[in-house]
Amino acid sequence: MTLVLLDTNAYLRLAKRITPLLGVKFGQKDYTLTILKQVEDEVHKNPRLRFLYPWFDDPVFAKERIITRVRLNKNEKEQLNAVTSVLRQHVLSNVDTYTSQGRSPPSPTDCFILAFGQIRPAIVATDDLGMHQLAKDFSIPIWHGHELLKKMLSAKCINNDLVREIYDAIETNNDLPRTWKEAKHTVFKKIFGPAA
Amino acid sequence: MRKAINTDAIRAALSKHGLTQKELANALGVSSQAVTNWLKGNDFPRPATLLKLASTLRLTFEQMVQTDNVDRPVIAFRKKGNAKTTNAHVAKAEEIGILLKPLVPYLTEQQALRTLITSPSIDYNKLKVAVAQTRSRLGIGEQAVLEYEHLIGEFKNSGAVLIPVLWGAKQRHENALHIRLPKEDITFIFLNLDTRLEDFKFWMAHELAHVYTPDLSGTTQGEDFADAFSGTLLFPRACAEPTYHEAIQQASAEGVIRVLLTHANEHMVSLNTVFQQIKLFAKSSNLVALEIDERTIHAVRNNNQGPLISEALFDPMPPEPKRFIAACEHAFQSDFFIALKRMIHESGIGASYVQQVLDTPMQDAFALYEELRH
Repeated sequence: MTLVLLDTNAYLRLAKRITPLLGVKFGQKDYTLTILKQVEDEVHKNPRLRFLYPWFDDPVFAKERIITRVRLNKNEKEQLNAVTSVLRQHVLSNVDTYTSQGRSPPSPTDCFILAFGQIRPAIVATDDLGMHQLAKDFSIPIWHGHELLKKMLSAKCINNDLVREIYDAIETNNDLPRTWKEAKHTVFKKIFGPAA
Repeated sequence: MRKAINTDAIRAALSKHGLTQKELANALGVSSQAVTNWLKGNDFPRPATLLKLASTLRLTFEQMVQTDNVDRPVIAFRKKGNAKTTNAHVAKAEEIGILLKPLVPYLTEQQALRTLITSPSIDYNKLKVAVAQTRSRLGIGEQAVLEYEHLIGEFKNSGAVLIPVLWGAKQRHENALHIRLPKEDITFIFLNLDTRLEDFKFWMAHELAHVYTPDLSGTTQGEDFADAFSGTLLFPRACAEPTYHEAIQQASAEGVIRVLLTHANEHMVSLNTVFQQIKLFAKSSNLVALEIDERTIHAVRNNNQGPLISEALFDPMPPEPKRFIAACEHAFQSDFFIALKRMIHESGIGASYVQQVLDTPMQDAFALYEELRH
C-alpha cells in the first residue's frame, strides 16, 4: 500500500464528488488516500471554509475521515516534531525563494504535512507551490491535485464525466489553481480537447 | 547565516539511541567520513540528509544545529499585564520578522537620518531633558497635549513601519510587538487596535522609545527605559507639577482622583500614567507624596474603562477589509498594506503569507488578501 496524504485544499476539491475517497486502494501501487487531523482542525477553525464547504461535517464524510485517520505512535510523533522543525527552518532560511514565482512560504501546518510524508512514508497531494518547492528541496514525494486526479482516472476509480464535473465545480468556486488550468488541455486533453 | 552541527547534541543523541557514528552513517546513507566532517564543523549535511538526521536522532533543528544569529530579528514585546514571555513567543515573533524581510524592498524608502537617544536613562531629571527635546522637535510645548498624529509622524520619520492589527482584547500575550531587522535597518511595529483608548497612546510612546534606542531592543533595560520615557513624554514635569499642587490641596481621596482624572482625560492618557508621573515628580522634588495608593488608582481605572481603539475607529465592528486597510494608510500613515499589495501582484504570494506575517486567523487573512489582490 502507498499512502497518499491530502492537504486541506486537495481534500476539499475532491471529497464531495468522489465517494468513497479515503481508504480505497487504487492503481498498481495500491494508492490509498488519507488526511490528517490537522486538516479537520483547519476547516473547523475557519468559518470561511465551513461556509464554502458546508458538506464537510455531513456524517458520511466525517465517518470516512475518522475510520481512515492515520494514528501515530510516540516515536513517530517525536520524529514528526523533529522533521517539521527542519522543514520550517529551511523555509525561513530561504524566505526569498518561498516568496517568489507564485509561492507562499509553507506554514508550520504545511511543514507538518510534508514531515508526515517523510516519516510514514506517504506521497503528499497538494496544489501549494511553496510546498512543492519544499518537497523538491528535500526529495519528498509530492503530487499536484490534478496528478492525483489523473492517477485515479487511469485506475478507473473515476471516469471522464466526473473529471469534467470536478473541473466545473472548482471553476465555479473560482478556486482553480494555475497548475490545474495548465493540466486541463494537456493532461486531460482527451476530455477537454487542446487549448483554444 | 552560518550553520554548524551541534556536536554535543549529536553525541548525546547517539548515546541515547545506542548508535555508533558508523551506524548513523549507514542509516543516513552517507560515509562515516561525512559524519566525522559534520562533527568537526568542516562540512554541513545537505537538506535531505539533515532531515534524515533529525528523524533518526529525533532532534529538532534548534537542538541539532548551531547558528551565528547574524541578521536575526530583534524582538520586543509590550506585554499584557503579568503575561509571561516564553521561548515560543520569541520564536514566533522572530519567524514573523524573517517573513517580513522580502516585503522590505516593496516599502517606500525609509528615512536614513533618524533621531536616536544615545544615553538613555530612567532618571527623572534626565528623562525630562530627553522629553523636552522630543517635544520641541515635534513642535509642541511641554504642557501641550501630545496627539496621536505627533507620534505617528515620528514613527514615519524614524524608519519604523506601523502595522495595526486586530488581535483581540484578551486572547494575546502582547499588545504591541516590535520587530527590528538589523541588516535591513527597519523596524516593524504591530499595534493591537483592540486596546483601550486610554492605554493606546502610552503603548505607542513606549514603542517610539524603542525606535529611539535600537541598541536596547529586546533587553530589560530597553523595556524599563521605554516605560519611563513613555510616561514622561505623555505627561511631562511641566504638567505633573501643577497637577500635583492642585491634587495635594484636595481634602479627600475622591477629590484627588477627580483632579487626576480631569488631567488624564484632557491628555487622553490613563489615570495611572498621570498618577505615576506625579509620584515621580514629587519624589524628585522631595515633596510629600499624594495620600492615595496604587490599588485605589487601579480600581478607579478599571471602573472607568474607555472604548477599544478598534471600536472608536471602526464602529460597527468588525471592519470590512477595505476600511481596515484605508485606516492603516490614512490614520496610521502606514504603507505596509501598499507594500503588501505590490508584493502580491509582483511575486504572486498567497493568503498564507498574509496569515503568517499578520498572525491573524486564516479567514481574516484571506479577506485582506482578496481585497489587496483586486
